[in-house]
Amino acid sequence: MQTEKFFYDNKTVKWFAYAVLFWCIVGMLAGLWASIAFFYPGINLGLPATTFGRMRPVHTNAVIFAFVGNGIFMGVYYSLQRLCKTRMFSDKLSKIHFWGWQLIIVFGAISLWAGMSTGKEYAELEWPLDISIAVVWIVFGINLFGTIIKRRESHIYVAIWFYIATWVTVAMLHIVNSVELPISFVKSYSWYAGVQDALVQWWYGHNAVAFFLTTPYLGLMYYFLPKAANRPIYSYRLSIIHFWALIFIYIWAGPHHLLYTALPDWAQSLGVVFSIMLIAPSWGGMLNGLFTLRGAWDKVREEPVLKFLVVAITCYGMATFEGPMLSLKSVNAISHFTDWTIAHVHIGALGWNGFLTFGVLYWLIPKMWNTTLYSKKLAGTHFWIGTIGIVLYAIPLYWAGFTQSMMWKTFTEEGQLKFQFLETVTHIIPMYITRSIGGTLYIIGAFIMIYNLRKTILQGSFIANEAAEAAPLPTTITTHGKEYWHRWIERRPMKMLVFSLIAVAIGGLLELIPTFLVKSNIPTISSVKPYTILELHGRDIYVREGCYLCHSQMIRPFRDEVARYGEYSKAGEFVYDHPFQWGSKRTGPDLARIGGKYPDSWHYNHMIDPQSMSPGSIMPSYGWLLTNDLDTSKSSKMIWAMKKLGVPYPDGYESQANKDLLQQEENIRANLRLEKIKTHGNKEIVALIAYLQRLGKDIKAAPVTETTKKESLSVLGN
Amino acid sequence: MFFAIHPLKKIHRKIILFLAMFFVGLTSFAEGPPPPSSMSNPFVVMMVIVMIILALAIGLLANVLLGVAQVQSEKEKDEKKSANKKISSATATTAAGIIALLFLCSPLAAQDKAASVAATTNVTDSISSTTFYMMAGVIFLELIVVIVLLYNLKLLLNIQKNKITTAEGAVEYKPRVSLWDKINSFKPVEQEVTIDLGHDYDGIRELDNRLPPWWLYGFYCTIIFAGIYLWRYHVSHTAPLSGEEFQIAMQQASLQREAYLKKAANNVDETTVKFLSDGNDLASGKTIFETTCFPCHGKFGEGGVGPNLTDDYWLHGGDIKDIFKTIKYGWPEKGMKSWKDDYSPVQIAQLSSYIKSLHGSNPANAKAPQGTVDIISDSTSNKKDSVKTAALQ
Repeated sequence: MQTEKFFYDNKTVKWFAYAVLFWCIVGMLAGLWASIAFFYPGINLGLPATTFGRMRPVHTNAVIFAFVGNGIFMGVYYSLQRLCKTRMFSDKLSKIHFWGWQLIIVFGAISLWAGMSTGKEYAELEWPLDISIAVVWIVFGINLFGTIIKRRESHIYVAIWFYIATWVTVAMLHIVNSVELPISFVKSYSWYAGVQDALVQWWYGHNAVAFFLTTPYLGLMYYFLPKAANRPIYSYRLSIIHFWALIFIYIWAGPHHLLYTALPDWAQSLGVVFSIMLIAPSWGGMLNGLFTLRGAWDKVREEPVLKFLVVAITCYGMATFEGPMLSLKSVNAISHFTDWTIAHVHIGALGWNGFLTFGVLYWLIPKMWNTTLYSKKLAGTHFWIGTIGIVLYAIPLYWAGFTQSMMWKTFTEEGQLKFQFLETVTHIIPMYITRSIGGTLYIIGAFIMIYNLRKTILQGSFIANEAAEAAPLPTTITTHGKEYWHRWIERRPMKMLVFSLIAVAIGGLLELIPTFLVKSNIPTISSVKPYTILELHGRDIYVREGCYLCHSQMIRPFRDEVARYGEYSKAGEFVYDHPFQWGSKRTGPDLARIGGKYPDSWHYNHMIDPQSMSPGSIMPSYGWLLTNDLDTSKSSKMIWAMKKLGVPYPDGYESQANKDLLQQEENIRANLRLEKIKTHGNKEIVALIAYLQRLGKDIKAAPVTETTKKESLSVLGN
Repeated sequence: MFFAIHPLKKIHRKIILFLAMFFVGLTSFAEGPPPPSSMSNPFVVMMVIVMIILALAIGLLANVLLGVAQVQSEKEKDEKKSANKKISSATATTAAGIIALLFLCSPLAAQDKAASVAATTNVTDSISSTTFYMMAGVIFLELIVVIVLLYNLKLLLNIQKNKITTAEGAVEYKPRVSLWDKINSFKPVEQEVTIDLGHDYDGIRELDNRLPPWWLYGFYCTIIFAGIYLWRYHVSHTAPLSGEEFQIAMQQASLQREAYLKKAANNVDETTVKFLSDGNDLASGKTIFETTCFPCHGKFGEGGVGPNLTDDYWLHGGDIKDIFKTIKYGWPEKGMKSWKDDYSPVQIAQLSSYIKSLHGSNPANAKAPQGTVDIISDSTSNKKDSVKTAALQ
């Protein structure tokens, strides 16, 4: 048959590769910065933008969506063309995709530093950016499927199955989780409330890990590992089974992030069992990777690319075994809310995603510049520095997490908590320091790589359009002998898309729909009332400053938590929380029942200088809350939005809201005056105090005393 | 070569010395101080016997290994091949390593003996967990040493065997099927062609290897686990859900606490508390005050966010019992939290006494009086019947 000549587009791949290198450094430096805040809170230099609460989302978003995201696109744009034997569908779409994605990242970082946040982890970006992400993602999808459809290869290879599943699932997750009601260009409220919001968020959050950090990277592994090792894929059968099992089961496991919370027990149990069933499908990928290297292990000693890939796959295997273990309730009771989780995700991020990206870069850049790697020795140095970095990062945090959890749970024989919360924090500070050292080493490794790749690029010459030739796709595909049934779908990418969507939709639907529709899942509590307008303002500040990144609002039904924080949290308490603020990590104590625990003046002083009220605290000072004006012009819009979302404010309350606000503010200011604290009117600090003092109070059946009466405001409730 | 053998002899002597010491240690243990009562426990006796037997086995194996190593190195000395130098020195280092292990073991064992004696004198009926774990640890270590010794022995013998076979001439090569290959049901790399599916994606081929059986059965097991889990939690209700688990934990805790409080005579409450004038009690109270109370009440009790604790005025009563009650239950609506879950009754009594002792200390920056006058005649005295000048309502 006549072969056709065509050219692969390397230019887009090159741009994505440069973006990977750039965001790698930015994201990791942001992480290092945030990690230093654990032992040197003053690192924020007194600025709001650089506090942990804002740096952490910058770090996670930059690493996940900028570093790994560009890594996915780099690998997909390179491998897809070669696996389909065709150029990308449209150079123009490639360009829009590249620049669109970079713009989103830049605006995303700026908006997060500015405190614009939806308050949902890994989905913090506000609604205009959410829409942009959806648009760019669809552009990517058109380019992806366009390329697959005009392919010259009769069947699509396993890497492409993973790309397809990634694309469709991320689209689904992003759209469902980002349903929010805007009140301005930079502020919106989650459509869902409390338990439901939590379930949607962790269905998204968990599967962002699955379908943004795992499946696309498995796709990359399936292309770059056999190419680099020059070995056949170990088992096609294993590819099929682990692919379908992985995408079907992964989606169910989200609730394991919410074990022992107010989420209904049946949903928690589903999260547990599907996490356990996930071990084998996850390991299928690892085995297919490692066994592909059979007969090529001698090359692993020589070839830095393979070294990186092997460690990446091993870290993947470790993390995907550890994950299900952490999903067992008895282990989760220890690990959750501690640094154990942080260590776990960094095995995945630094080991699996980081090292795989590095391996791909070391392989792909010499190829595209038609040269060899400048220095294998430097790459080896990078490998060892990076590996030591991972070890120094993870081990101290495992230790810290376990130790702290054990300290939280320790009681004296008399039945008292043995350690104050703060003691458990100061105890593990040395571990935090070691973690930062590990992170620093990892970044140094990345710099070595950049130098090495720069030198490689300088000694080569870039092939923007790589010539290739292949026979066109035959109209009828003849099969030779025995064919697997699965070959049928490998010729039909659109059916692959539909079946993948069905596989990933089942789990989500079966978990989400009952939680939304069956009333018994969230028993209502009559004494739980909507927030006052001042409290709502305070809540916005709480979200803006990222308080949920260090403070949980979820007391689990454990003896120690009830003793430390009070009655455990009930589902009905969160029905007006748009978004939910349960948090996932306790660097500071839980705040679910902080309301009324300390006087207003305590909070006031604590915000100015946390160490004055809690000596040794690692919370930064929030001095700007004292000077920032409260934007009361938003009040009516906020009430409107809340009513729209189903919060029962009385009719016409929008117009009265600010009157209530002034009254409650005056009460708090009067309380502060009693303690000789003079405050100016209309300042953010008062709103935040109002919110904190409200937290967790509604279900307390305490008789209404004079002070509480003053606080629970006029129009609402009684 | 000379270098390799000489230290071996030395080490040999050391081993004998060590074994001798070991037995001396054992006899001294047997005759030792008060006949350890746990020695009557058959389990302990069994463990001790296992330890001794393993120690003997180690000694024996070490001797055999040293012998073999010596023979080996002498042979090589005869052959005078430079290439063999490596092996013999490797043997020597292995042997040295083993010896090092043995010596590492000996102080451990000695410590164990001491510890077990110490522990057993305290425990009368059953063995303490420390004793058990120490003994188990020693047995485990000994087992490791045995395995290492056996492995090295096998290695040395293999070297000789290989030499014999190579001497005998060409032996047909047979692909070795290891346990690893078996459990993964690997097809030998050489026979790969038979399972090549003929796929070619940009040069990537695909094989049709079987699913690793352990992986597949592992997958089935997790599915069965899932079924059983859901059935137990949600159908048969034989496993406690979060709420029930909490109830169980709380019941257990309260039982434990009651049992402890019954035994321990620190069952103080607001009706029985008395001023503790003892210096140690006041010092403990001071420590608690300076770690927990000072943010609100000031370092010297002068007050801050919370009221002054050194003057005559009290919001909730200045009697030791009132103070105890205030600390224990708190006045949450006024910002004083309850500390009963943080401090024990005795600690609260110590803290209350320390606060009483601050009366009249007139610290700097004292906060203005709050509440009603509740004059106490002498702050440091043990008088519990303070003169109340104002009604406490």
